[in-house]
Amino acid sequence: MTDSGDQVNKPMHPAAASSQPFQVADIRPTERLFEDSEGRDRLEKAVSRYPEKRAALLPMLGYAQERNGWVSDESMEEIADALDLTPAYVRSVATFYTMYHKHPVGRHLIQVCTCISCHLLEAEEVFERFLAETGTRAGEISADGKYTVIEAECLGACGFATAVQVNDRYFENVTPDQVPAILDELD
Amino acid sequence: MGYPYSHDLETSTLLSRHFGDEKARTLAGWRELGGYATLPEALEMEPDRITEVVKNSGLRGRGGAGFPTGVKWSFMPQEPDGPHYLCCNADESEPGAFKDREILRWVPHLLIEGCLIAARAIRAQHVYIYVRGEFFPFSGILRDAVVEAYEGGYVGENILGSGWSCDVTVHLGAGAYIAGEETGLMSSLMGGRAEPWIKPPFPAQSGAFGRPTTVNNVETLAAVPMILQEGADWYRQWGTEKSPGTKLWCCSGHLVRPGTYELPLGIALKNVVYDVCGGAPNGKKIKAVIPGGSSTAMLTADELDCESTYEGMIEAGTALGTASPIVMNEDTNIVRAMRRIAQFYAHESCGQCVQCREGTSWTAEILHRIEGGEGTPEDIDTLYHLCEQMTGRTICPLADSVVFPLRSSLDKFRDEYEALIRS
Amino acid sequence: MSDVAKNITLTIDGVDVSVQRGATVLQAAERAGIVVPHYCYHPGIPSRPAQCRMCLVEIEGQPKLQPSCVFPAGDGMIVHTTSESAETARKSVIEFLLLNHPLDCPICDAAGQCMLQDYAFETGQLRSRYAEAKLVLGRDRVADDILYFGDRCIVCTRCVRFMEDIAGDNALVVAQRGHKAYIDTFPGKDLDSAFRGNIVDVCPVGALVHEDFVFKARAWDLDTAPGICPGCSTGCNIDINVKENQVVRTKPRLNPEVNSYWMCDHGRRCLVMANRGVRAEAPMIRAQGELEPAGWLAALTWVAEQLGDGDGVAVVSAGAANESLFYVRALLDRLGIQGGTFTVEQGEEAALTGFPKLRLRAERAPNADGAELQGFRRSDGLPTVENGATLVVLGDALADASAEYGANAGFFLYIGSHLYPAARNATAILPAATVPEMEGTFVNYEGRVQRFHRALRSPGVARPAWLSLSRLLEHLGAADGVLEVGDAFAAMAADTVGMEGLNWGALGLRGELLSEAGQPAVAAE
Repeated sequence: MTDSGDQVNKPMHPAAASSQPFQVADIRPTERLFEDSEGRDRLEKAVSRYPEKRAALLPMLGYAQERNGWVSDESMEEIADALDLTPAYVRSVATFYTMYHKHPVGRHLIQVCTCISCHLLEAEEVFERFLAETGTRAGEISADGKYTVIEAECLGACGFATAVQVNDRYFENVTPDQVPAILDELD
Repeated sequence: MGYPYSHDLETSTLLSRHFGDEKARTLAGWRELGGYATLPEALEMEPDRITEVVKNSGLRGRGGAGFPTGVKWSFMPQEPDGPHYLCCNADESEPGAFKDREILRWVPHLLIEGCLIAARAIRAQHVYIYVRGEFFPFSGILRDAVVEAYEGGYVGENILGSGWSCDVTVHLGAGAYIAGEETGLMSSLMGGRAEPWIKPPFPAQSGAFGRPTTVNNVETLAAVPMILQEGADWYRQWGTEKSPGTKLWCCSGHLVRPGTYELPLGIALKNVVYDVCGGAPNGKKIKAVIPGGSSTAMLTADELDCESTYEGMIEAGTALGTASPIVMNEDTNIVRAMRRIAQFYAHESCGQCVQCREGTSWTAEILHRIEGGEGTPEDIDTLYHLCEQMTGRTICPLADSVVFPLRSSLDKFRDEYEALIRS
Repeated sequence: MSDVAKNITLTIDGVDVSVQRGATVLQAAERAGIVVPHYCYHPGIPSRPAQCRMCLVEIEGQPKLQPSCVFPAGDGMIVHTTSESAETARKSVIEFLLLNHPLDCPICDAAGQCMLQDYAFETGQLRSRYAEAKLVLGRDRVADDILYFGDRCIVCTRCVRFMEDIAGDNALVVAQRGHKAYIDTFPGKDLDSAFRGNIVDVCPVGALVHEDFVFKARAWDLDTAPGICPGCSTGCNIDINVKENQVVRTKPRLNPEVNSYWMCDHGRRCLVMANRGVRAEAPMIRAQGELEPAGWLAALTWVAEQLGDGDGVAVVSAGAANESLFYVRALLDRLGIQGGTFTVEQGEEAALTGFPKLRLRAERAPNADGAELQGFRRSDGLPTVENGATLVVLGDALADASAEYGANAGFFLYIGSHLYPAARNATAILPAATVPEMEGTFVNYEGRVQRFHRALRSPGVARPAWLSLSRLLEHLGAADGVLEVGDAFAAMAADTVGMEGLNWGALGLRGELLSEAGQPAVAAE
């Protein structure tokens, strides 16, 4: 987690409501978003930062994923209702962005950058190694529910190829040989 | 992780002075390092005076286009009839570029101070720092810094007792390269698909939430406090007349020492590649360099003796872009590399303009076929035709972005395409 | 403002054209008679994303081709819509759009009126350079009566923007992005707007198709006549598409004063449904106790002899033409019958936020105000017929009447198109043309007199009611009857408060408002 220690016990500052990590390992079971004080607080704080309610859409899609691990149709409807949008509109936006999962993923979402700079430095081999070690095909959830491995477009760590992102963590300068150690570290 | 790279060229580190120093991340530490010294002065200044200084410094947009920052600010209405906004573009997504994340994670308060000064200059009441979603570790550091800055009275109501108020919000994207285009960024910020819109209206007339808005890159805004502190002439001691100052370079690919380096503009590209980054590892020769991020034209190893300024790189037939050379050694399969680049743009096309929506994926498909040995001689003509029809035809430059490396690779490495087609 | 009136002059393909400041290059070209091909631009939809890139033109002084749908026309501007670069760009857009297109024109409903087909025919190449496998998207449903063929879709987003800008219901969207983008609804939330049918009309290709039209007819087999929608008192201007003397489809026809480019789905169904029912095809008279067919002359002569002065009631239809209503009134006057009523079915209203003048209005009939102008009154039901009294019925007033209605009348004259059960009680039946089978006029909710044209042939010897009635009046000793609908209109206009000065020819296809004296009381909305 990137929350610094002294922030943990304080109520969330409204300025921080639109930048919480939404690819997290501790997935709670799918539940309603805005029926408890935590959800209502996040909604209210995010909405307070923009002149239009609609602008809180990305933060709320992120919140749905932060809470449930993915963005379900039910969450989209709930968000639509909260922000006076149509569910269709929310879906249109949610499907535009690649980081919102419209289906559940493994507890560890392993994204291997295979874009140009990483591609030049063994990224495909790293990707294949992750698939082999987790026994999955690209995009599927491993039998134990732990892993989903996908290729990612540029992760913005080109000088540290190959870049791998696991949930909200970056692993850099990854070589195929390091893959087993990274998987060990995840548990 | 960490910041392991340094170089031995004589240079001045301005933005990157405190890279690697964790102290700079906290408000107390940053103040100890002399941070937030410029803001009180800026609060005393007339907004247009700030713009004037930045204009005189010659600072140019570091997001790739190189538009003069002060001039951009001067487009904003001087008599506001409602809110103005500043959007800080931290949606760093151009393959090859990884500089803004270093600013976010090492000197977040420098960026916040730059944002506030710019907001004052353009009479904005709210700064939205749009950070690409994947950057969780770095946006987290920035977010904590913003909260600290609120608590320290540097952001929010009545900043430092000046009577001037300005909010800062860190806003996360969610995986869309096109949100880095300024109108795409604003579409996304407003809760939409990150679809660029056709100008006019220009952002300074009607941008975010229909209000006058300026969009500036992270590196641009981070340079503002020191320019204001030390003066325009001081900044001009680096770089050239038309491209003053220093620039963060992002060097990736086949290099001995890849990484982020702050270097004065005007340095020869070959110095960056060979001296700063040590050339290609294992004694390999360099075959090609894409100098400014993946959307710029390739140079061959013989073409690297060019001046790294906005105008110098155009003279060399390419562009400075984000100053992010991607270096390819002699073993590189150019067609395969180009296919990988085209695939990126096909994946990131928003899908509005026909040429981009269809052209980027068609390009990637043709390249994929050639790479697999299934190409035909006509494919090269078709690729050139695509270059023609994807240039200057669309709302935003995403389609053009694939054309620059594609056309240059066809021009300069045609033999590699033909060899694969013959095989 | 005087500035608005200021005109600017530009040259497009060598033609000088003056337009108001603020007009786009595309609009200026249109004015000069030059069509700039386009897909995403639709004149009735305000948002203009300029994303199809089909309308790119060369403008001297501009380094790049510019989208004419949004580029403002400037004074002295020189525009080339057919220069080499503009043509090449257009040709290339067509090539891009056809890459993944299934080329299933032989089974596509839009074939023959498809903007992709048309432009591809004009500018396209015979052979595609696309060697890759085509993307297959398949067929989906966006409403219970509208299908979406994703493969044919060019993602111009007209349908999405109609729903958002005009229908005010953002229920149809672009899903995904890039070349994977397609049009979709939210799962389980199909379009339920009362105006959703318009998305089929705005679709420039065959991606959105009405399920009740799919595979039914080819565009080139259709005849088209301008009509007025009979579905409510709005009086939307429509085109009636006919195949083999059956209405197969109704589409809105532009009238900026009434319905813009749109119409509601209730209206679309009305005329298609009107194909049904048992028709009166020949005059029938009850000369010997049973209704027997007769020739027109024999029937009219017999009716004229049998009809006598005295007590009587009249029922007319709010769906009948003004001309027919006028001649019913003339007949009633001749017979000394006062009054006369009609009923109007009421339904739920449906508003169109993007063009508020157009609504599906509560009164589900096209000419209630026209009937009032001829002295008939709105009523909740059919009048009671005294034993032995005369009963005159025009049009579909008997559609829902009990089978015994009118059986006790002394003389029951029915001038109508359908043989409803109660119509079989008539003493004489004069078979009438339905509205799409005749020419005439309606008066809409705001007092606009609008002409409709003939789309269908009548069965048998059925005739417009105004014609048989005017002949009947001749037999009753009135002045010479009229034979032309224009003359019928002129006779009516001369004798109807509010219509004075209206001219059949001048009504054209846009209609004209009644004078203040004739304005319906409820028009103030």
